[in-house]
Amino acid sequence: MRLVDYISLALRNITRRKLRSALTIFAIVIGATSVTIMLTIVFSAKGFINDQFEQNGTFQQVQVSPQTDINWGNGSGQNCNSSDCVKLTQALINKLAKLPHVIGIARQTQPYNFDGLFYGSKKLKLNQVVAYDANGIIDNHMLAGRDITQSDGNGVLTITSDYADGLGFKNNYQALIGKTVKLHTQGYYSGVGSDPVGRQQYMQTHCQNMGPGQNCELPSVQITGKVVGIADANGLTNSSGYTVRVPLSWARGMEENQDYGPARTSGDYCRNMPGPCMPPNVLTVTDELALNGYSSLIVKVDNATNAAAVAQNIRGTFKIGAADAETAIKQQLSVFNIVGIILGGLGGIALIVAAVGVINTMVMSILERTREIGVMRAVGARRSAISRLFTFEASLLGMAGGILGVLIGYGLTLIGNPILNHQLKGNNIGSSNILSLPIWLVITVIAGTTVIGMLAGLYPARKAAKLDPVEALHYE
Amino acid sequence: MPAIIELRDVTKTYKLGDETLNAVDGISLSIQTGDFVAITGASGSGKTTLANIIGGLDRPTGGSVMVDGNDLSKLRDRKLSDYRNQHIGFVFQSFNLQGTQTALENVTLPLVFARVKSKARKQRATECLQAVGLGDRLKHKPSQLSGGQRQRVAIARALAVKPNIIIADEPTGNLDSQHGDEIIKLLRDLNKQGITLIIITHDMNIARQAGRIVQVRDGKVRA
Ligand SMILES: Nc1ncnc2c1ncn2[C@@H]1O[C@H](COP(=O)(O)OP(=O)(O)OP(=O)(O)O)[C@@H](O)[C@H]1O
Ligand SMILES: [Mg+2]
Repeated sequence: MRLVDYISLALRNITRRKLRSALTIFAIVIGATSVTIMLTIVFSAKGFINDQFEQNGTFQQVQVSPQTDINWGNGSGQNCNSSDCVKLTQALINKLAKLPHVIGIARQTQPYNFDGLFYGSKKLKLNQVVAYDANGIIDNHMLAGRDITQSDGNGVLTITSDYADGLGFKNNYQALIGKTVKLHTQGYYSGVGSDPVGRQQYMQTHCQNMGPGQNCELPSVQITGKVVGIADANGLTNSSGYTVRVPLSWARGMEENQDYGPARTSGDYCRNMPGPCMPPNVLTVTDELALNGYSSLIVKVDNATNAAAVAQNIRGTFKIGAADAETAIKQQLSVFNIVGIILGGLGGIALIVAAVGVINTMVMSILERTREIGVMRAVGARRSAISRLFTFEASLLGMAGGILGVLIGYGLTLIGNPILNHQLKGNNIGSSNILSLPIWLVITVIAGTTVIGMLAGLYPARKAAKLDPVEALHYE
Repeated sequence: MPAIIELRDVTKTYKLGDETLNAVDGISLSIQTGDFVAITGASGSGKTTLANIIGGLDRPTGGSVMVDGNDLSKLRDRKLSDYRNQHIGFVFQSFNLQGTQTALENVTLPLVFARVKSKARKQRATECLQAVGLGDRLKHKPSQLSGGQRQRVAIARALAVKPNIIIADEPTGNLDSQHGDEIIKLLRDLNKQGITLIIITHDMNIARQAGRIVQVRDGKVRA
């Protein structure tokens, strides 16, 4: 009997009893799908970690925050306002810089009081203005213009491509370079670019006679900046989506408290004055950033393998938050591994059940086809041919289950990737589509279920081959 | 003319509990090429058992069955299957067609095991069906055919691999006399073309047409 005949006969027998075959295959599909997903997750996760080590130095970074319970990616923007946290002051930063393996630090802050980005008549909601040292530790992918440099000062900024798109410069980023945009903020803004004297006068004329419970609305403030670059919103290493970046020196100015009012020494001034005393107004400038510390730091270490240890050292020594990407990812991976083990176990059980199902189906099928087997033997089928025929049939059931399982597994990666991409982006990890189905995995799973089907078919096939032809022919 | 089949002291014993039953009890028989042999005898006398042993479907408990110098009783399954495939065409009382397959596919079956390629198989099967007068029923399933037509499909199947011997075990048993006669005529024509024909029958009208009648009684050949 020729190979094609085995296959076509086996296929024919499978399709002849569609429902039963479908039910038998169903169990194999569940097993194969589980195993496919398990292998995909475990190996994709492993590949992902390896990629990350090679990628843009993320693994050489430790994120430091005044908040002690941070994870990688969410440690920024948490200014230290309460008394029970340690402020990220320059004095502390100087100590961090001297730690072993530390080769650089990028200080970060987020002047949080802007709410609008205006260009001409276009007004966009402003989510975050960020600033950090332009010392190369945080690297941005620029789509047009240039990134912020250390020599940049007030009035210079970059925006992300999302904003450029919103301002109507999609596919035309270059045209936005050199243009002036406005950052909009509320009237109580007291940083650089505000008018402390005007504000004081406005308050005296408008807010003095207000009743209780009434809010004194100050006219809003707009400060201007020139766009020098458009950053790729997807390629941002340390912030995401809609972001405006300004030089750190300008951010310091934005966070200043410039106050025009009676001098703080007015008590001294009035001490020797008889009658009502009106101390002269003076301008007081407070460097709030120096006072409150930075919102977060990115500490760069000499080698990615030291990041976790440095983070631990920082946490232990300074009682501040420190997170490294590898530990964070390993935590995420451990979830994957648990999911993988559960799926693998489920898949294994499903495959055992499926194998029993195949045996059952085949034994039943042989009982039904006893007479048919007798006829085949009478017209010259060898025992080995009968045996092979049923083994083929069982193998094909296994193979069909494997193919369907792999297809479903592949479908699930198509669903899973966007979800994971979203999560990774939320954690500021610039990888995407990490779930992939390598061809060897496809082959392994299909070959595996085929072999399981074949093994499950061995006993029934032997049974069929051993039937006595004469008895089989008279089987009712 | 040399005997193509030579049985010597063939026995077939069944053990049923303590009792032993000699279904075939020391039969010696030789059949020549081109013979038309009718095997008759009462029900349970051992006719089918004897025919199955000749056809290589069953193995004797004792004695020898010589075919072309080979002893069938000593052949391994592989050779014995090939012997059935290449030399024997069986025709059964109950047709034994595959109900889910067409007439053409049924006739094709022995050729599948003879490793004939698909195209040549179809060609040969069509030829055989034409030879039994069913050239216009190739795509019919057994359930769509009359009893006589079904038996003709079975004969076409027996013919497919060009056997030397056709063994027909009560081929007319399930047919009315008219269809039965047609089948016997068909088999006789094949015999005239040189195929050795062994028919088991209760019908003396059929037996009488044979060149030789072998009467079996209690597993023995009546002299
Ligand atoms: N597998 C078996 N086990 C036990 N006894 C058997 C078996 N096969 C046949 N026999 C017995 O052997 C004897 C001969 O059977 P066989 O089928 O050869 O008879 P037969 O002459 O063909 O009868 P019929 O005309 O009814 O077909 C019978 O008594 C039968 O009961
Ligand atoms: Mg009989």
